[in-house]
Amino acid sequence: MAEYLLEMRGIVKEFSGVKAVDGIDLKVRRGEVMALCGENGAGKSTLVKVLSAVYPYGTWDGTILWEGRELKASSIRDTERAGIVIIHQELMLVPQLSVAENIFLGHEPTLPGGLIDFETMYSRAAQLMAEVGMPQIKTALPVSYFGGGQQQLIEIAKALNKNAKLLILDEPSSSLTKSEIDGLLRLIDGLRAKGTACVYISHKLEEVAAIADRVTVIRDGTLVGTAPMADLSVDEIIRMMVGREIKNLYPREPHPVGDVIFEARGITCYDIDNPAHKRVDNVSFTLRHGEILGIAGLIGAGRTELVSALFGAYPGRSEGEIRLDGEVLRISSPRAAVAKGICMVPEDRKHHGIVPQMAIGHNITLSTLPRFAPSLLINEEVELQAMLEEIRRLGIKAGSPALPISSLSGGNQQKAVISKMLMPLPRILILDEPTRGVDVGAKYEIYKLMFELARQGMSIIMVSSELPEILGISDRVLVMGEGQLRGDFINESLTQEKILAAAITQLPLAG
Amino acid sequence: MIFAFKRLKDVFSRYKILTLLLAISVIWGLFTYMTGGDFLTPRNFSNLLRQMAITGMLAAGMVFVIIAGEIDLSVGSLLGLLGGIAAILDLRFHLPIVVTLMLVIGLGGLIGLANGYWVAYQRVPSFIVGLAGLMAFRGILLGVTDGSTVAPVSGALVLVGQGYLPFLVGKGLAGVLFVLLVWTTFRSRKRHRALLLHVPPLWQDLTKLVGTGAIIAGFITMFDAYRGVPIPVLILLLILGLFSIMANRTVFGRRIYAIGGNLEATRLSGVNVQQVKLLIFVLMGVMCAFAGITTTARLAAGSPSAGSLGELDAIASCIIGGTSMRGGSGTVFGALIGALIMASLDNGMSMLDVDNFWQMIVKGAILLLAVWLDVTTGSKR
Repeated sequence: MAEYLLEMRGIVKEFSGVKAVDGIDLKVRRGEVMALCGENGAGKSTLVKVLSAVYPYGTWDGTILWEGRELKASSIRDTERAGIVIIHQELMLVPQLSVAENIFLGHEPTLPGGLIDFETMYSRAAQLMAEVGMPQIKTALPVSYFGGGQQQLIEIAKALNKNAKLLILDEPSSSLTKSEIDGLLRLIDGLRAKGTACVYISHKLEEVAAIADRVTVIRDGTLVGTAPMADLSVDEIIRMMVGREIKNLYPREPHPVGDVIFEARGITCYDIDNPAHKRVDNVSFTLRHGEILGIAGLIGAGRTELVSALFGAYPGRSEGEIRLDGEVLRISSPRAAVAKGICMVPEDRKHHGIVPQMAIGHNITLSTLPRFAPSLLINEEVELQAMLEEIRRLGIKAGSPALPISSLSGGNQQKAVISKMLMPLPRILILDEPTRGVDVGAKYEIYKLMFELARQGMSIIMVSSELPEILGISDRVLVMGEGQLRGDFINESLTQEKILAAAITQLPLAG
Repeated sequence: MIFAFKRLKDVFSRYKILTLLLAISVIWGLFTYMTGGDFLTPRNFSNLLRQMAITGMLAAGMVFVIIAGEIDLSVGSLLGLLGGIAAILDLRFHLPIVVTLMLVIGLGGLIGLANGYWVAYQRVPSFIVGLAGLMAFRGILLGVTDGSTVAPVSGALVLVGQGYLPFLVGKGLAGVLFVLLVWTTFRSRKRHRALLLHVPPLWQDLTKLVGTGAIIAGFITMFDAYRGVPIPVLILLLILGLFSIMANRTVFGRRIYAIGGNLEATRLSGVNVQQVKLLIFVLMGVMCAFAGITTTARLAAGSPSAGSLGELDAIASCIIGGTSMRGGSGTVFGALIGALIMASLDNGMSMLDVDNFWQMIVKGAILLLAVWLDVTTGSKR
């Protein structure tokens, strides 16, 4: 019998020339919990997708040995048959179907003639649910009846039904409460005792410390190292996760920062599906005139939810108080926010930023159209001049403002969306992941623009998952973790390690 | 062969309107040939365009509903209801024609407002709101008319559907229209030059003008060889002009396209998307009033079955005319050409004594073909 259940050797996966994963090894023994750690975008998801054949054999380089033999899987069906089952961050359950039906989805036991054998299905489902520690559950109830933690366990029962030998859990605890997480960890521990191996992907290093036998850290698509958990501390893992040099891509330009003009108090956002869960938990902060405020944190920390709430765009219930110049603002919609001088460039450019069929110029003026229509009709000459001026000012590389915005590169699309939200002349500009999917050149230009705007007195809130960007641009940094404000630092002698430590530890730190 | 077909598809997708005009000439040529010339007589031509006017009015409103990513299935029933109310106001209450028209148009707007409120503010899917209206409005119509025809309506009302412009006025309007076209073309060239934008070559604009001029001259000659420009056709042309300007040159029009293209992005740009949707449905209601009045005037009676399946003709017209069901793109002009294609098929096949069932089958097939062409030539998402 081979020493390792799974051996991934020298895995390389390219996306149009960019190596998302570059020569990573991952070895897992039977009955072992291997934690996979890395910053956002380090390549964890890509690696898992290679393993589970979301990217089939042949679309990547390297070797996967499964129980000592080479695995050449062309689809998830193949890997599941082998015993590799992945549980995604976003659960893949059909809410309207019953627990049993979900567990057996695609593998329904049948009677001769093709009808579903419900008796076998329900009794087997009850057994499985007992194995995952929910013996009392009624498997005929629809999945939507249960909360996030219970649904997670149903997913695991589903995986067990497929005779999983290796369970991959991708950020399983991101929407679970503390006690639900404890239950999950106990279950994994129990499965380990029965010989089921597990790859546990999580940002929450306390969980990693509690459950993992060994830890593999990757960074920028390459392997940093693998070590037994017993030999590591949480601090060491953080150092391994970060450990890169900061290049001078972020030329911080000095600019005067004035008095506090904006204040958010007790902002709380409730999950839409699960109102007991707080996506943002009682966050308060201030913002100064001409200040660039960075908001750091790991994915799922509640940063996007927080800024969406400030902009009146949070889809669920939220509470808290917002003051601009001491005056309390009632912001119930993005329209109200724009009218009060708060604009936001959303994180998801494709779905929330651009109107793809429309011209570049028409996208830019979408936020301020009435300004160009003194009478009933839009004055197209004035509008066109404004478009051309904006295209010049932001350096959007476009042949003509009349071309559809979808014809531009990601960076130029982003500049057009920023331009659209600058047109209302906001006092506070919120940028959510402003350089995601943007090439280096355009990134640099966006940073330059931000400094220019700050110098002119605009206050900027920037949410970013890239720590070098946070450190390179911000005057002050807020750190969020699990919906809470975990730190508020002046950006002097601040390090990535400090930010990550604040994001991961429970206690708020002061800087 | 495959390459030739692919090339052809490219041409289709780039010059949608040209393709539609081509389709019309093919259809007209075919029917003219098969009827031994009877199809393209001045009398039938006038008849054809009057037939098309009612579907055209609905399509002119529907095209904005579809561009915004919604649908309205209630328009056929609403047309019937408003037409019936027009007949009742005229016949039983003897209201002056202007008052009748104002009341019916106002009521159309109000009902549209109610539809829009359910869609935009109560977030009931427009398909369902339309379906509810489809049943309820027809029911109200049957109730207020006791299920029987309301006739005869006054001569003044009939004139709205069956009247013609005096020859001189028709020719005068055509002339004014052409002069207006020439003027805007040259003004736009001048403005583009001043703003250092791309100016199309002069021959291109001139060809366009000569072509449009020939079409206008042809139309007016055909109309005047019979009895002149029909009033409903005049109304439809006015709607076409107004709505085209609205679509391209007003804040409201621009926002309709933005909402259909990406509702969330538009909302996050600070646009009141609910209000825009509401107004689109108000517009649709007003168009139903126009179509209902024209129907009653044309039949000289309010019929409890008027406008049945009208919603489907209107939707088909928009789709054939190049409006995308995904929302975000489409033109009023295209929708009206679509209505003209539908009306031509109806009219031509009726002249050929094609059985009604065949007519329906052919229309269905053409709709499918048109959308297939649109899908295969459209951008790959």
